[in-house]
Amino acid sequence: MDLAKYRAIFIEESTEHFAEMSQALLSLEKDPRCEEAIDVVFRMAHSVKGMAASLDYGPIEELAHTLEDRVQIARDAGAVGPPEELSLLFRGLAQLEAMMARVREGEDPPPAEPALLAELAALPEASASEAAAKPPPTAPRAQAGVKAPSATAAARTAPDLDAVRPPPTVRVNTQTLDRFLSTVGEVILNTSQVRTVSESEPGQRAGELSEGLDRMDRVVGELQRRALELRTTPLLRILEPLPRTARDVAERAGVRVSVELRGAELELDRSILDRLNDPLVHLLRNAVDHGVEDPAVRVAAGKDEVGLIVVQARREKDTIRISVSDDGAGIDLDAVRQRAIESGVVHPDLADDLSSEQIAAYVFEPGLSTAGQVSEISGRGVGMDAVRATLESLGGSVEIQSEAGRGTTTTLVVPITAAVQRVLMLGVGREKVALPIARVQRIEECKSESIERSGSDAFVLIEGELVPVLDLAARIAQPSASVEEVTHLVLTEVRGERVALSAERVAGQQQIYVKPVPELLRNVRALAGLTILGDGRPMFLIDPNQVA
Amino acid sequence: MARILVADDASFMRQMIREIVEAEGHEVVGEASDGDEAVEEWKRLHPDVVTMDIVMPRRSGIDAVRGIIELDSSACVVMCSALGQETLVQEALQAGAKDFIVKPFKPDSVVSTLDKVLEKSD
Repeated sequence: MDLAKYRAIFIEESTEHFAEMSQALLSLEKDPRCEEAIDVVFRMAHSVKGMAASLDYGPIEELAHTLEDRVQIARDAGAVGPPEELSLLFRGLAQLEAMMARVREGEDPPPAEPALLAELAALPEASASEAAAKPPPTAPRAQAGVKAPSATAAARTAPDLDAVRPPPTVRVNTQTLDRFLSTVGEVILNTSQVRTVSESEPGQRAGELSEGLDRMDRVVGELQRRALELRTTPLLRILEPLPRTARDVAERAGVRVSVELRGAELELDRSILDRLNDPLVHLLRNAVDHGVEDPAVRVAAGKDEVGLIVVQARREKDTIRISVSDDGAGIDLDAVRQRAIESGVVHPDLADDLSSEQIAAYVFEPGLSTAGQVSEISGRGVGMDAVRATLESLGGSVEIQSEAGRGTTTTLVVPITAAVQRVLMLGVGREKVALPIARVQRIEECKSESIERSGSDAFVLIEGELVPVLDLAARIAQPSASVEEVTHLVLTEVRGERVALSAERVAGQQQIYVKPVPELLRNVRALAGLTILGDGRPMFLIDPNQVA
Repeated sequence: MARILVADDASFMRQMIREIVEAEGHEVVGEASDGDEAVEEWKRLHPDVVTMDIVMPRRSGIDAVRGIIELDSSACVVMCSALGQETLVQEALQAGAKDFIVKPFKPDSVVSTLDKVLEKSD
């Protein structure tokens, strides 16, 4: 039997099962007597157990089995016990997910924590006192009540709770899809190659040829649009885990929150979607950790003791705006202003004239988030500056609004598709590289001698402002051609700073189909993508954020 | 060679059974992912044998056995159970299931169980 095939199915199915379990546990938090939800948790644990046993993943089988038995007790009783009981089930699920992460890496799952297994296996009455003997994972009063996401969201993830069957679908491996898209990309490139050739050979039939090419362009455009649609995925995929994340953070922070998801059915290009995950998690953590006040403080301020966090997505032209709003204390603008002044980002005299929105925007400055605002996500420290950098590299932006005592709304703005981009092509040494046109402020010609150099740094005076000059050739390790008398400076903004990228030639604009960077070059972070030019040569798309 | 309907909510398990029985030359004529679907598919296909998971959404495997036996008391259903589900297996056998196989599936025992029930039903 082809074990690798079954392992892949196992990973895929279990991941879906875990999402359903998580969803069901969250609704049990709202209504401990929801039999359907208890049933979902039971069946999912049971199913994971069966698959794990077939593949000889003993630890997963054992934990899933213990969890299943535990849920059976709730099933018999018709309700999930006290809040500690749910926390225990959540911990069991978290451990299963951690084991699964190892399987995904091609490793064997580690054994389950004996303490957790023992707690799950102990009688529910005993579990409370046992849990008390261990370092408590949460303060006793820190129970976070998290609202299940909207009905539509729940229905999408837990089809078992929904009587309506979705239309028939076909599961396609994302690699297959990417290969398909890449082929569509080739068609686009070939069409432009043919057009280039046809234009260079004017003849009697040039008109017909050009008409034919126009028609072909339209059809290819339609094909491309449809193909890109295939790669879009509902936002739900990354929004769905947020209520649970909020719950975990709230438990630790000793606050209570309820999370509402809106617009999770909107779809985005999968490559963009995946990169939005970390920023969204960060915003949500911030909202729970720094936005929502302690229950006592909230009550004193006349608010509900449970903080409300709304994650809302809506479409606006070719962008999707995803906002995370809390009804907490708002950003301490005076503190931000003070930090901005202290770190020299703004002059004290000017700081007084700034609007509250301008001051709030300083939280995106590197180093201006307080240490507490940097959260650990998959081992990397992610601050607000990283959120902005990620969004900018996707061709999007971040906006923030805050009102003292009323709360904060942070909005991520992203383009719906990223695979096709308009770029500015620049000649660097013997290569051509591309910059997303959205990142180009303007292009200046400049005599080489007007660039001031001191040591390894170079600056140029533009509109009375000293702007750092980065030599693109040097940055991508291209031998620079002989020192030109005139160089082209492309002005762009990197993390709020103006930067000039110097290139030898400007080679025009073009719409390109961006392919992922080959595996071999993945660690060259300045390369955001790759396209194949009309003459068959590759051209790299540069991410200005990574060059500076 | 028998025509088989495979009912299990996990496509993992359905594929595994399919692979095992097809290697023996049987034909999987249909798949069902819950109890309701299992009964519906049985009505439509009248397979020689159904492999029926016990724990399934909407309608449990045991309930589905009852539904099928109501339609045809000679229908041949084999339960798929996990260890620790002895009581449920008993219940299914009382409801009219002919035999059971235990997860994780061992190809040999799946094949011999199917052969056994098919022989009896001939």
